Amino acid sequence: MTGENPFGELLQEYVVECLPLAEQVADAFVELERRWRDGDPADEGLAALPGPLHTIKGNSAMMGLAPMREVAHALEDACGLVARHPERRGDAAAALLVAGGELLVDLVRQASTEMDPSPATQFVERVRHWETAHPIPLAETQPERRRTDRRGAAERVSAGKADSVVRVDFRRLDALLEVLGEGLIQHSALAEAYRGFVRRTGACDELDQLDQAVVALEKTLKRLESTLMETRLLPLATAFGRFPRMVRDTAEATGKRVRLVQTGMETPLDKAVLDRLSEPLLHLVSNAIVHGMEPVDARRRAGKPDEGTVRLDAAPQAGRVVIRVSDDGRGLDEQAIRKKAEALGQELRPDDVVPLRSLIFLPGLSTAERVSTLAGRGVGLDVVANAIHALGGTIDVETAAGKGTTFILSLPVTLAIVRSLIVEVDQERFAVPLAHVAETVRAEPEAIREINHRGVTQWRGGLIHVADGGALLGTGGGQASRRFYVVMAAGPKRRALLVDRLVGHQDVVVKGLDPALGRPDVVSGTTILGDGRVACIVDAVRILEGGRRAG
Amino acid sequence: MPVEEAQRRTALLGFADAMDVRADIDTTMAPGPELHLLTFSLDREEFGIPVTQVREVIRVADITRVPQAPAHVRGVANLRGRILAVVELRSRLGLAAAELTPRSRVIVVEVRERVLGLLVDAVSQVTKVPEASVAPAPEEVLSMDADYVTGVARWQSRLIILLDLEKALLPTE
Amino acid sequence: MPHSFLVIDDSKLHHQMYRLIFSRGKLAGSTVHFASNGREGYGMLVAHPELKLVLLDLNMPEMNGLELLERRRAEALHPHIPIVLVTTESSAEDEARGRSAGAWEYLRKPFQPADVEGLVARALERSAPAA
Repeated sequence: MTGENPFGELLQEYVVECLPLAEQVADAFVELERRWRDGDPADEGLAALPGPLHTIKGNSAMMGLAPMREVAHALEDACGLVARHPERRGDAAAALLVAGGELLVDLVRQASTEMDPSPATQFVERVRHWETAHPIPLAETQPERRRTDRRGAAERVSAGKADSVVRVDFRRLDALLEVLGEGLIQHSALAEAYRGFVRRTGACDELDQLDQAVVALEKTLKRLESTLMETRLLPLATAFGRFPRMVRDTAEATGKRVRLVQTGMETPLDKAVLDRLSEPLLHLVSNAIVHGMEPVDARRRAGKPDEGTVRLDAAPQAGRVVIRVSDDGRGLDEQAIRKKAEALGQELRPDDVVPLRSLIFLPGLSTAERVSTLAGRGVGLDVVANAIHALGGTIDVETAAGKGTTFILSLPVTLAIVRSLIVEVDQERFAVPLAHVAETVRAEPEAIREINHRGVTQWRGGLIHVADGGALLGTGGGQASRRFYVVMAAGPKRRALLVDRLVGHQDVVVKGLDPALGRPDVVSGTTILGDGRVACIVDAVRILEGGRRAG
Repeated sequence: MPVEEAQRRTALLGFADAMDVRADIDTTMAPGPELHLLTFSLDREEFGIPVTQVREVIRVADITRVPQAPAHVRGVANLRGRILAVVELRSRLGLAAAELTPRSRVIVVEVRERVLGLLVDAVSQVTKVPEASVAPAPEEVLSMDADYVTGVARWQSRLIILLDLEKALLPTE
Repeated sequence: MPHSFLVIDDSKLHHQMYRLIFSRGKLAGSTVHFASNGREGYGMLVAHPELKLVLLDLNMPEMNGLELLERRRAEALHPHIPIVLVTTESSAEDEARGRSAGAWEYLRKPFQPADVEGLVARALERSAPAA
């Protein structure tokens, strides 16, 4: 590149504006390919493409980013050609466009002042070659440049351009939430001091006003909190934008015909949850294609349509989001799974009706003998389950042999504030997220001694392991003071935790663990209680997954 | 006191005498550049850290123990809504443990953008010490790993051991 | 006395670029207004008769550059304000159409800060005698 580009410092802004456009263009190309294969010329889909391509081209030119400019220009030309010559809309054109779209996304994502020009040059070559494969009559070699009427275009693909939206660094939102968190904590302290005061001095009229003020302040802070939390919410589409392309590539690589149907992609989820959700979901979708879907001839024999369908359906449900990943493939082989589970050493008593769901997520269980790199690099469902549990979510499965499989995920909408049960063990307080508390049970000292001796206890018709809170959390006290057990739940696992007291419920602001604390595996964070003291948050998921046994 | 401690103390005092001699020789020199230190005591010895690393000094309030934390981390405390990890400097420096007293304090420091609390026996004052009064600490003076001691300052009949907090606090993670 | 300018472009990136250009060198201290589409831009044009130059992107949703020029001509709005049409490429035919709609000049992308500075200088020269 000759000389320094005067707008070099705007590289980030360039990516922010052009990456969503490039991704939408790439997605649109995949969609075009599918429709052309169905015999649908998709005129309006084509018409929506020149706009964003033109913008990317112009922006890239301004920023001195030649590779992106060239690829966008070549794609513009190719789109123009198939727009004027419908007979050229087919697999060859589609493959070219899809490849170009992917390349454009990659280039924009990696925008920098030093870029390797060869991928772009090669692609442009490819486009020229394809253009001249069937020579076009001379009169039409001047491509149209004027687009004075864009109002006819059905879809407005240029969503990345200036509108009434502000881009905020996510860390600022986190910082805002932290400050708000401090406010909530301070309010708790205020409320507690106030209650203490009332207890000592007795209620009176003046205090009524104070009471109202304290309550009103809490309402306002909570409203502020939920408004702020909303800013962190992003639609699922943000994370799942690349799924259609991935499905296409995976299906092609495995020689199957699969289409992806997505609904509810506008459902909002906290960015922190979303960030950790894409990989497990990717594995599930990938598994559905690689293992769940039969090849075309098997489907025909089964009387199913040639093209298999994988669905991603999301919907909000009472403060959570439920996502279903389903396929109309061959379904799970229950017998094979049970056999495999037994082979892995899972004890299955004959009178045990162990549901499929608790088996399929065991480590080492994969009903396909061949572990391919496509199916999430051989990642088993246990890893997926762990990832979902770590988010405070649940995962379940429904299947019917020959019909298909559905995975059902239930996720919390947000992460940062967690409703918790505060417990006390040897005068130390801990928070246990309510999402992982199945029940709390009072137990008499004799019963607890009995429990300790056996290490298990009866609960809802089954036996569950028991851990002494003091031993597990290192409080160092004896067990004579235990009076309650808290049944913790993560996925299908259950474990009872012996504690001294149940202090109450509280919404706690989750704060991370300072690196100085090392990597404890029984607590996942810290929080500040109403009295200002710090309490550790019990990592129910880790404790249950790790099978830690103490006491 | 145990034998090693006694040996250390003797070595330290011997060193102090040697420094005294040097100080006499140097009285004619101008003060020159100064180090601005916050000094605190552990086990009757005085330590110093650059004031620039100190954010504040607070009284010891509730320190919540964190399960499975490393031995020298006493726990975490609430610093106006911020969670502060508190390092027991004594154990980190290899000194014996001791009870908290009303004079115990937590020094909130910032080292390489990390904010941590140092639990110490007592905090004295902010002191200005001429750079010329600092000498490298001899190996035998300190039984602990001398890596995080940058030197010893001999000033106005005080012996201040200068700590490199980065080396003392951060490489342990 | 700082001069006022108007940028009408649907690209946020371009807003940033213009901001950079108008904050440095000869143009430092300028007042710049920004609009994101033709309709918004037209409103700003109406509201700011003191503008010395307008930089107008051709391709925008909801009233493109050409449409804005045509409306301005039809309503005879502030004819003294020079408007530059900004495009990525244009044929002689396009340029003729733009000028006949009332564009004073054309600016082709990619352009440099110096190109904008040059246009501003010429625009100021043009308006000075009329003042």
